[in-house]
Amino acid sequence: MNSLGLSATDLATAVKNREVTAAETVAVSIGRIAELEGKVHALLTPLYDRALARASEIDRKIGKGEDAGPLAGVPVVVKDNLCMKGIRTTCGSRILENWHPPYDATVIRLLEEAGAVIIGKANMDEFAMGSSTENSAFFPTNNPWDLERVPGGSSGGSAAAVACGYAPLALGSDTGGFIRQPAAFCGVYGLKPTYGLVSRYGLVAFASSLDQVGPFARSVDDLALALDVLSTPDPADATSSRRCRPGYRACLGREDLKGLRVGVVKEFEAYPVQTEIREALGRVEGILRGAGAEFLPVSLPTTIEAGLPCYYILAPAEASSNLARYDGVRWGLSVEAEHLVDLYMKTRGEGFGAEVKRRILTGTYVLSSGYYDAYYLVAQKARTQISREFTEAFRNVDLLLMPTTPTLPFRQGENSEDPIQMYLSDVFTLPVNLASLPALSLNAGKSPGGLPVGVQFVGPRWGEETLLGAAEAVERVLGKPAAAFGGEWV
Amino acid sequence: MAVSKEEVRHIALLARLHVEEEETQSLQRHLNGILEHFGRLKSLDLENVDPFAREDLDVTPWREDTVVPWDGREGALSQAPRREGDYFRVPRILENEDE
Amino acid sequence: MKQPGSAVIGLEIHVQLATASKLFCACSTDYIGAVPNTNVCPVCLGQPGSLPVINARVVEYAVRTALALGARVGHFTRFHRKNYFYPDLPKAYQISQYDLPLAEGGSLPIGEGKERRAIPITRLHLEEDAGKLVHSAADGRLGHSEYSLVDYNRGGVPLMEIVSEPEIATPAEAREYVARLRQLVRYLGVSDGDMEKGSLRVDANVSLRREDGSLGTKVEVKNMNSLRALERALEYEIGRQAEVIATGEQVRQETRHWDDGNGVTCGMRGKEEAHDYRYFPDPDLPPLILPSGFVEEQLRLMPEMPWVLKERFCTDWGLSLEDASVLTEWPGLARYMEGCVRCGANPLRAANWIRTETLRVLNERKIPIEKFPVSPEDFTALLAKVEKGDLSTTLAKKVFDLMVSEGMPLPAAIGRLGANSGKLEGPALIAIIERIMERETGTIEEIRSGKDPKGKKRGFLCGQVMREARGQADPGEVAKMIGEILDNQ
Ligand SMILES: [Mg+2]
Ligand SMILES: [Zn+2]
Repeated sequence: MNSLGLSATDLATAVKNREVTAAETVAVSIGRIAELEGKVHALLTPLYDRALARASEIDRKIGKGEDAGPLAGVPVVVKDNLCMKGIRTTCGSRILENWHPPYDATVIRLLEEAGAVIIGKANMDEFAMGSSTENSAFFPTNNPWDLERVPGGSSGGSAAAVACGYAPLALGSDTGGFIRQPAAFCGVYGLKPTYGLVSRYGLVAFASSLDQVGPFARSVDDLALALDVLSTPDPADATSSRRCRPGYRACLGREDLKGLRVGVVKEFEAYPVQTEIREALGRVEGILRGAGAEFLPVSLPTTIEAGLPCYYILAPAEASSNLARYDGVRWGLSVEAEHLVDLYMKTRGEGFGAEVKRRILTGTYVLSSGYYDAYYLVAQKARTQISREFTEAFRNVDLLLMPTTPTLPFRQGENSEDPIQMYLSDVFTLPVNLASLPALSLNAGKSPGGLPVGVQFVGPRWGEETLLGAAEAVERVLGKPAAAFGGEWV
Repeated sequence: MAVSKEEVRHIALLARLHVEEEETQSLQRHLNGILEHFGRLKSLDLENVDPFAREDLDVTPWREDTVVPWDGREGALSQAPRREGDYFRVPRILENEDE
Repeated sequence: MKQPGSAVIGLEIHVQLATASKLFCACSTDYIGAVPNTNVCPVCLGQPGSLPVINARVVEYAVRTALALGARVGHFTRFHRKNYFYPDLPKAYQISQYDLPLAEGGSLPIGEGKERRAIPITRLHLEEDAGKLVHSAADGRLGHSEYSLVDYNRGGVPLMEIVSEPEIATPAEAREYVARLRQLVRYLGVSDGDMEKGSLRVDANVSLRREDGSLGTKVEVKNMNSLRALERALEYEIGRQAEVIATGEQVRQETRHWDDGNGVTCGMRGKEEAHDYRYFPDPDLPPLILPSGFVEEQLRLMPEMPWVLKERFCTDWGLSLEDASVLTEWPGLARYMEGCVRCGANPLRAANWIRTETLRVLNERKIPIEKFPVSPEDFTALLAKVEKGDLSTTLAKKVFDLMVSEGMPLPAAIGRLGANSGKLEGPALIAIIERIMERETGTIEEIRSGKDPKGKKRGFLCGQVMREARGQADPGEVAKMIGEILDNQ
């Protein structure tokens, strides 16, 4: 049996029923990577040997009749900012080029305890700073649907890997849209959970108050399954919510969406958005209406005005502090130096790329004496205001339908000249992080030129169930996302 | 421009980040671009808004005061660029050789 | 004390809390003598991706201290990041409290009686300790070192920083303030308060008043590892500043280190970078909110304050202020004293013995009272024997020494010395008594002529016999026999 096209859910069942072994599954995955990686460059570090060894372990377990977990034998790709004990973890940066963390991230542990087999670490923008994966210190990842274009970022490698069928599931991290935007660009599902739903322990921090780990998948069912595994409360993360999580997969399967109130943001309507994306929004609206949902206008005036500038003050501020620990003393790159300050300056000067330097300097500036009140504090207030605006909006609606991005995947090099222009591509995604909300980007078809078109649902905090339910209704009509480069998909 | 080249150099030192002379100007331009963009927020009325009202967070959890030894010490030390036995080593801390 | 030239001192004291694990991780705080970089984990090594979770006991200890100082405990506080680069700070920021400390206000009483006054406290906050640097130079000093080595065992140990208002006037007052604070944390059981080990570290801000009464430039003095060093350093620094001013120069704002060997404070060489810590709330730690009833619970667990105890020792038992001060210095010693009195010891005699004998033993053996081998019960029983005259003081001290050195219970120690009361009896005892009676004919004469209404002279005779018998006779028996002789003739 060819496991390539199976969903994670079906694959785990097939492995448990011994219709296919975990070792075979991993071998198929490795074959697919070998076939396409030369074109796509999604992975920074393949983990074939480790994966095969893990797969045999799972097969042994199943042979002995033990429970191998809900993800038994399922290959998974993880973003390279998730720590794996003894496995190179670069964050796409020269400064961590040869870093082997001495511990596992909580989400890595959860995945492996659930029987998943991690087959590779995915490329990303350096320290997750970027929207195109062009800021990887090693090489850019290409969009599987058009190799000249970007896969989005910063979790571009993870999104591309799922779109190519390297694995049915991948993990990314979302600080300002970095799961949803690449999901849209690569034509797969991507879910950014409510802040605090998934542990951040072992996720190398970019902006701690905004970062959240989440899954990529090619079916809603798989997203829900992944969330069931990942959303365990973690005592090692003080921001991990201790509230009880529903069984997300168990919540799926509702026949209609009667009573569901969907909001459309008036201010976003006026924003320039590419025609294909407008059309996709219309398609999705039609499907939801057909399933019984009603549509209402909502207003987020501060959000549209303040979201972007607020984000580009707060995220760098936190990053400037989070990235101070790369100083050449305990790990990573360390440049020969006469004395301590020299060591710090040179190591950081050589180890960080241009975008990272820009953000560190911006962040340092807005926190520095004399500027804190004018920038950092004002941005925090704007954040509170944005968060309140969403809370207000969710009194009247259950979820929002929004573009994920204003444009289709852009060409490589197109936006890299003007970083601020690049930032504009995050305009619909980053308010969601500022307000700590969950959001799900889904594929809503192709452009005439064959590029994936994504839209997103945004929910109130802890509203993942609603998002998955709505996405499922769309999936029922549009089908599961197609695979890049073809292949046999079930 | 709001932020001077001199300030960029000062911030770079504060961030312990060596930047080449050529980079300074583009960094200055970038920083001013961001700050100018931020100027939009001036029109908002944020007078009585709490800057740190994170509705999404629970209170901080407390852990019990129990010791759990960690077995990854060697793995951590092995990553040190200048390890010396059980220690992490750093070059001379003071800049001038003479005291 | 507001005249020109008078000193104004403020103290910032970092107290290591005696928890088992660190402030934000489960590593042991027991770093003294540990192999370098063994009490570490991803969190206290600042490994990328690791996150802090606060230790409940740290909050309990800090709140108890705040309550003891009469400070206002903040029910809603938070942690900030204090950003700066140094090798002993693995994240390149210290998690500390800034705009909302755990407690504000309160005071600490110093001095006695009329001299007693309260030094006001500004704030009390929590923060993590840094690691330790070992410098390569032969003298172990930073300046001569080609390189340094870092040990993170101490990194992340919980610290409570207590900042006083600048209302301390003299080095002696500063010394007493620190001594009282040290005593307090020991009473609360929240720290061992050991300055030499570095569990209690004092930084002093010193300035002199100008002609117009305003405060002069503030100098920070660090590196004082004992009460004596603190007092000496402050005396030196006040003198130095006075001299600078006398020569018409400006006192430089700087941090100076106390050099105990040479008895001077030294400025750090070269330019000092202006600090810009870029404080901001740590996004990894939600606000610290004390649950309702928490403060009340801590209040319930508070021991009696040392200054209250001292007063009680004076008023209830009639001890001198000096005795009471010595006996309440350590909570264990005060508990021991109370234990003895509870067992029936005469407070004055017990105080005297503890001060002279017990403290001597503790000093000689360098052990805390908790390790003292003689229980309050045995100690009290020993004192009772002296009181009753069963044992002479000299012999009692020998018994005491045996109980200490051999860890013997009282009866065994008495037995070992052959000092069982009543051992000397019969003809031997009669012989001694007769010998004394012959020698003390004058005294006997006086007793018989009724010049001993209070029985003091009889007591004297008994004492002489006991002395001759080296304490080995039964004093009751001796008194009876002497009485018979006196009355029968
Ligand atoms: Mg401090
Ligand atoms: Zn630790």
